[in-house]
Amino acid sequence: MSEKKIKKVFIEGAISPLFIADAIAKHSTKKDIGAHSIFLGQVRNDVINNKEVKAIDYTAYNEMAEEKFHEIRETAFEKYSLTCMHIYHSLGRVNSGEISLFVFTSSKHRKDAMEACTYIVNRIKEEAPVWGKEIFEDESYIWKQNTP
Amino acid sequence: MKIKILAFGIIADITGKSEWIIENIQATDELKKHLEILYPRLKSMKYAIAVNLAITSGNFELTDGATVALMPPFSGG
Repeated sequence: MSEKKIKKVFIEGAISPLFIADAIAKHSTKKDIGAHSIFLGQVRNDVINNKEVKAIDYTAYNEMAEEKFHEIRETAFEKYSLTCMHIYHSLGRVNSGEISLFVFTSSKHRKDAMEACTYIVNRIKEEAPVWGKEIFEDESYIWKQNTP
Repeated sequence: MKIKILAFGIIADITGKSEWIIENIQATDELKKHLEILYPRLKSMKYAIAVNLAITSGNFELTDGATVALMPPFSGG
């Protein structure tokens, strides 16, 4: 593992649109960037057995997840020519319609930013030890399953 | 010999706790058997076992003070 500082990924609750706007604005000083790619994961109000999902409650194996996010970040920097990269994931309760995952990659040209963004999102879904509990209107719940 | 167990997601629902200590278990296969006797629902569950933050495969020998995490399929994002 590299000696680079492990960046904080987890945010308590939903990721606000203002936080995302602010993250974009911060890049205006980095004038060698020609392309940004952003993925936003939003909590969907699936209907399961006639009950609508109203929120997802996320828990994680924090220590292992932080290491995994770090490894994904390092690998993406090696694989793609990126100027910068930000990953944020919610913990705790996020209501349907709110954002729970924010992946933001920037590069000189669009190809690197776009491909890296997809790569990172796929690896997070498959490898990050995070679990989502889908909570219905009556507070009953089921454990979420990711689609491949 | 003491092992710290961490349970996540649906596994923590089944065991009714997310963190506890067990003694005198030498390897992950033995641990699985032990847990499946206590919590029969685990038999039909798919879960990965991480020892000291690394996912294991096969029967993995445990050492004193190890942290063992029981992890059902991930569903982040």
